[in-house]
Amino acid sequence: MALVSNVLTQIFITLIAVAGVYVLTGLTGMFSLGQAAFMAIGAYASGLLVLRLHVPIPLAMLLAVVLAVAVGYLIGYPVVRLRRDYISLVTLGFGEAIAALLNRMTTLTGGASGLTGIPRTVGLGITAVSAAAALTLVALFKTSKYGRQCIALRGDELAAKAMGIDITRVKMIAFLISVALTSYSGCLYAFYMSYVDPTGFGWKRSADWVIMVFFGGVNSLTGSTLGALILSALPQMLRELLNFRYVIYAVLVLLIINFRPSGLLGEWELTPANLRALPGGIKRALSRKRRGAE
Amino acid sequence: MSLQILINGLATGSIYALIATGFALIFNVLKFSNFSHGATMTAAAFTAFFLVSQKGMGLVPTLLAAGAAGACIALFGEFVGFRRILKNHSSATYFFVSSITLGTLYEGLVTIRVGSNFFNFPSFFETPTLDLGIIISTSDAIMFLISIAALLILGYIIQKTRLGRALRAVSFDRDTAQLMGIDSTRIIQLTFVISGVLAGFAGVFLGIKYTLYPTLGSLVVKGFIASVIGGLGSLPGAIIGAFLLGVVETGLLSVLGSGYSTIATFAIMLVFLLLRPQGIAGSNVQEKA
Repeated sequence: MALVSNVLTQIFITLIAVAGVYVLTGLTGMFSLGQAAFMAIGAYASGLLVLRLHVPIPLAMLLAVVLAVAVGYLIGYPVVRLRRDYISLVTLGFGEAIAALLNRMTTLTGGASGLTGIPRTVGLGITAVSAAAALTLVALFKTSKYGRQCIALRGDELAAKAMGIDITRVKMIAFLISVALTSYSGCLYAFYMSYVDPTGFGWKRSADWVIMVFFGGVNSLTGSTLGALILSALPQMLRELLNFRYVIYAVLVLLIINFRPSGLLGEWELTPANLRALPGGIKRALSRKRRGAE
Repeated sequence: MSLQILINGLATGSIYALIATGFALIFNVLKFSNFSHGATMTAAAFTAFFLVSQKGMGLVPTLLAAGAAGACIALFGEFVGFRRILKNHSSATYFFVSSITLGTLYEGLVTIRVGSNFFNFPSFFETPTLDLGIIISTSDAIMFLISIAALLILGYIIQKTRLGRALRAVSFDRDTAQLMGIDSTRIIQLTFVISGVLAGFAGVFLGIKYTLYPTLGSLVVKGFIASVIGGLGSLPGAIIGAFLLGVVETGLLSVLGSGYSTIATFAIMLVFLLLRPQGIAGSNVQEKA
């Protein structure tokens, strides 16, 4: 039971980060390869505030998220004006720089041996509620004015601009929301693990999240959530194959990109209306298949 | 002292130039950032290490093997990751994901083979340093010369040969080039091969300069920064940016130490993007309508 709750907690923490990546990548079509660095900022900042300055934990988390968003604004400011390639290149550089910095500032962060002794106050309940809240927030954002503008500019930036959408502003908002969610997941991570070290916040983790979003369906929040659930549960089941994990991931995703580019669920979202339409849809799909077989 | 920094910086810069041009070539032709470039470097360097250097052969066979391995890996990547997407005219975001995934795949495969161990290339040179008034390490000097030679050959191919002209035509406008009778699939394959060879060289050089380890490929960031400073998609810009980055970084390293100099170079890149986003070369690739 402890194992199950441990796995679930970690999945929920990942889910919050992936919800952030969905806003950035799924809705807006930007890729951040330094997203995990914002998780590191959230984890370290909230941990340090509590350990060194004895700030109450909720306030520390809030301050950490604010700090991450401020850093995100600095990084985003020059980048959202440019071609979308730049955000991936710049965030990748940012991630490496943060890792180097965390390793270097030994007196503050504990360097490579990590920051220890963070009180373990976060459990399954809080992470589950947070994940649900994060997903609700993103679902609401998707159908809001800004979410629609994001989707519009992902399709064609020039056309979106011509329709009067302030693309610089919308890109920035999407980036900052994703930074806030990711850094919050970092806070939860720190107070759940009670220990953080600089490894594991590299580009590989950021790439992992992007892969999860694409695996389930880049156009669907339900799909991205499903992708995160499947791909973060998978390695727990294949513990002995830990080394092969990335290879299996990569092969799965390459197959999906080549043969089903819209991901597992495509555009399908989990809404009451869609759910009611589901039995009929399955029946239709089955009869189409039967007709195809005949 | 400062001359010493300049020389060391140019040597480092020449490796960055190899990385940046390999990256910029693909960017030129397919208009996306190839994030599997770093892992290609690692995989090629490791292949050469196990097949050639460990058997006691010298630098030249190692480089040839790494170049060949890099070319094969890049060609494989083109076939698995990009061919179908290109044919379906899918959105550019899929190139991104594909390249990230390929990077994860190569790095995963290398990790399965070697674990997370560090490896050292055998020392290829009898005298470790040359004394020409100032002290230069032999490996730095040789790497600098080979990199320059490789870049010159690349420049000759791109500017003077029929293949190079076809390559430039395809990167200018793929569809029109195809209509003019250029086999653009072949040219794209060729570009991947060249980029793979450069990646192989860069991987070996990085392995000599530091050590060989499975996440060596993350040093590709330096190549990315160099291309951003030089102007995305411009080969001369990438080379200038790389040398500039090498010298500035070596200077910062001697003042600030390794952790903070990484931050400082990153900050320089941000400021550069703010002030001159089109880069030194001034070729700003716009998002196509």
